[in-house]
Amino acid sequence: MKLELVTLAGIKVDADVYEVMLPTAAGPIAVFPGHEPLVSVAVPGAIAVRFKKGDPESELEYYAVSGGVIEVTQSLVRVLVDEADHGDDIVEAESRAALEKALKLKETAKDAVELEKATELIDRHQVRLNVAGLRRRHRR
Amino acid sequence: MASQRQLKSRIRSVKNTKQITKAMQMVAASKMRRAQDATKATAAYTKTAREILADLAKQGETKNHPLFEKRDVKNRLLIVVASDKGLAGAYNSNVAKQYLRELMVDDQAGIKTKTIAIGRKVTGFVTRLKSAELVGAYEDLPDTLEGHELRPALDTAFKLFQAGDIDAVDMVYTEFVSSVSQVVTTERLLPAGDTDTELEEKAISQAIFEPDAETVLASVVYRLLNAQLFQAYLDGRASEHSMRMLAMKNATDNASDLIDDLTLAMNKARQASITQELAEISGGAEAMK
Repeated sequence: MKLELVTLAGIKVDADVYEVMLPTAAGPIAVFPGHEPLVSVAVPGAIAVRFKKGDPESELEYYAVSGGVIEVTQSLVRVLVDEADHGDDIVEAESRAALEKALKLKETAKDAVELEKATELIDRHQVRLNVAGLRRRHRR
Repeated sequence: MASQRQLKSRIRSVKNTKQITKAMQMVAASKMRRAQDATKATAAYTKTAREILADLAKQGETKNHPLFEKRDVKNRLLIVVASDKGLAGAYNSNVAKQYLRELMVDDQAGIKTKTIAIGRKVTGFVTRLKSAELVGAYEDLPDTLEGHELRPALDTAFKLFQAGDIDAVDMVYTEFVSSVSQVVTTERLLPAGDTDTELEEKAISQAIFEPDAETVLASVVYRLLNAQLFQAYLDGRASEHSMRMLAMKNATDNASDLIDDLTLAMNKARQASITQELAEISGGAEAMK
């Protein structure tokens, strides 16, 4: 099964995989080869990729993604998101600092626009932190 | 003829200018390459979004969506994309010209036009026009974009379109064909659905939509339009840099020519003064005899 992770900054993943776990609006789903054709909405969260059958949890690759669209066909999983960051590229301390900053921003927000911006930032950094946490747990 | 000293100082100043234009040319060249790469990267996103949308359209899901609704155009929104900085050849004035043309077309057809301006140069231009109604201006966008910077502009367009204040949204931007050819074009953004033509056969059908087709559609359309606007902006930026590169190359060449001319003039002046001195000396010597 092929996985394509497409973002505004280019194609992040274009590879053969065995299993993909995706965050959708109705909760996380796992997709294996031969999945029923499906089009769904992705929410901000973590995508986990298992490249080969039988790979242990520690071999999973994580991506922190923003919202987007998922398209599944028999042999192809296409994930269309605005942003995706590989777990290895996320610096946990940086994300935590950014999250705290965003939380402060939310408290001091004066109007709806600022509030929305802050909420978006909080979502984004929360997701990145979660992904960093997941990765650490499995790699230990 | 100018004195040697004047010529010398002119040569020096032209040399300085040449150095600056040369540096700008090189900066523009490297920025152009980066902008070009960004354009290519976003193309994959746009293509994927279009394919998914084509599939939805095939299943007839797009018919009743408000963003696909085709109305008689009485009010139109133009999103004009140009740059923050000048010195890019005819880049900004080409966009301005096209924008004026669009305004004229609307004027003749009795369509009222609103404008969203992206880039300081074009904002300044639009505010000076009495006939233009500016509903948004975006300036000083960062060099490295992540794609959500233009959302506010898009949200404004959506709101106006859904409220019925405008019946169509067009983008005026410079399409980057190659590093020597850039064309100012007008592209329809809303109502959506003018874009998916040749992709229909490849599309998957009989898919399940989760949670439902409507939600998926809204999500896809929003992403596609954002990507289209983003792409237009990136194209504009690649064009800007390549036109600046060319303009600065011409300026550097002109400076070189000017330096050659001035150096020749200076040498002539120096030779003239030497000849004159010699003539004076020999004349004086002749008179002493």
